[in-house]
Amino acid sequence: MILAFEDVVKSYGGIRALDGLSFAVGRDEIVALLGPNGAGKTTALEIALGLRGCDSGSVHLFGASPSSIAVRRRLGVTPQESGFPDMLTVGEIVEFVAQHYPTPAQVAQTLSAFGLEAMKKRRAGTLSGGESRRLALALAFIGNPEFVVLDEPTTGLDVQSRRRLWDVVREASGNRSILFTTHYLEEAQALASRILVVDRGRLLFDGDAQTLRGRVGGRRVTYVGQDGPVVAVPVDTDAYVRALVNSGAGFSNLEISKPSLEEAFLLLTKGPE
Amino acid sequence: MNTLLLVRAHTKIQFLDLIRWPGYVVPTVVFPAMLYSIFDLPAARMHPNDADLLALAFIAWAVIGVTLYQFGVGIAQERGRPWERYVRTLPASVFERFGARIATAVLFGVITAALVALVARAFTPIDLTLMQWLRVLLYAIAGGVPFVLIGITIGYWASARASVPLATAVNLLLAYAGGLWMPPQYLPSFVATISPYLPTRQFGDLLWSVVGEGNALRAVMGLALYTLVFGLIAAVGYRRDERKRYA
Repeated sequence: MILAFEDVVKSYGGIRALDGLSFAVGRDEIVALLGPNGAGKTTALEIALGLRGCDSGSVHLFGASPSSIAVRRRLGVTPQESGFPDMLTVGEIVEFVAQHYPTPAQVAQTLSAFGLEAMKKRRAGTLSGGESRRLALALAFIGNPEFVVLDEPTTGLDVQSRRRLWDVVREASGNRSILFTTHYLEEAQALASRILVVDRGRLLFDGDAQTLRGRVGGRRVTYVGQDGPVVAVPVDTDAYVRALVNSGAGFSNLEISKPSLEEAFLLLTKGPE
Repeated sequence: MNTLLLVRAHTKIQFLDLIRWPGYVVPTVVFPAMLYSIFDLPAARMHPNDADLLALAFIAWAVIGVTLYQFGVGIAQERGRPWERYVRTLPASVFERFGARIATAVLFGVITAALVALVARAFTPIDLTLMQWLRVLLYAIAGGVPFVLIGITIGYWASARASVPLATAVNLLLAYAGGLWMPPQYLPSFVATISPYLPTRQFGDLLWSVVGEGNALRAVMGLALYTLVFGLIAAVGYRRDERKRYA
């Protein structure tokens, strides 16, 4: 096991950010951590990276404390906010991070893999948002770590840049485990072999995208009614359609399909108010 | 990884980041030599017997400026930055990270003080032997310790915005009242009364003792007391910030 959270509780004052969160990341897994804003994702990652402690429960990274230096030699991180020192060049930043690891990847190779070779001598302060994110991703992989944590790796990028980065991450992933947070469900679907959904500090779902869609139970019903288009995901699809037909109300373009990942996610995290 | 290699790696990037930043280099590294040239160089030429004391006072001020800005403003502005959080996820201990900050400050302190010394050597009758210069170097590093701790105190207790005016005020007021800009006997009487108790005066006394002036023993005792006091305040500030950001 690479990372193990067991019944982790963390509060800030009166606010409970993690409420008995338990999950694990195994070898060679690519796991997406999903959840609405304030769900506890960032707190969970900060605890996993040893930046914060927990109030109760236990967290083990490679079987040890996440704040241990020995453990960090096996870990690569892409921070959510880059904020690189403006005056340092891309090459200097990558070389600096590489120096912390016992068997780092070649700097030139890593720069090339992340499309940064042409900007090796450019200062970080002059990079665009997309270039900054590529640099942040390169830093997670330069140490050749066994476990990589990516905190919202493509936030703020346009669709094309995002997809290009997915390809880069897929190629760089190799035989290592990756845990990443994201707001983009399609990103989770494209990259992850497993999805964890957290909300209010608790784990609501642990499985693949297919299972997440199936977990919601109902099917997606769309039609054009008298007042315009209608989209519904009823618990009992048959009863819903029967009631619609029996109501005598006019409708057209009736379609019954599986709910999208987004709808499944929204239904799952809607929870009791 | 080897601790020394990591300290070197952190020192290198901190040094490069600062040396390329004119907003740091001009006021911190160049100003002491510039102000020495403008204000004290003519005095040193007119009063050759005071040339040593004037140059040593500006060397002390050069070191104080670097420590207050490097640690005071540096820590206050960096402690909340994403890069600082990221660096904490790397396999390097707090001692390696902080060791690099001290090494960077020593480098800048030596460069800043060396600029003053070069101007003094070139344009005044300052006359120190090699052994005396080595003592100046040693005393400048040792005497800078309480100012490092005053800087760390500012860094952990002041906000990023407040740190610049605070460090500047502390630097200028203490330099003036400590007699680093003019011989202490020319200070107004009320300032002259408190001057011997200030760390800047004690730092000046320590350096002046190299040429047989200043009370070295009293200076060392005073600086040790300031080291203790600000060491404690800085430690409390550090722990408070750690609890707030990383507990």
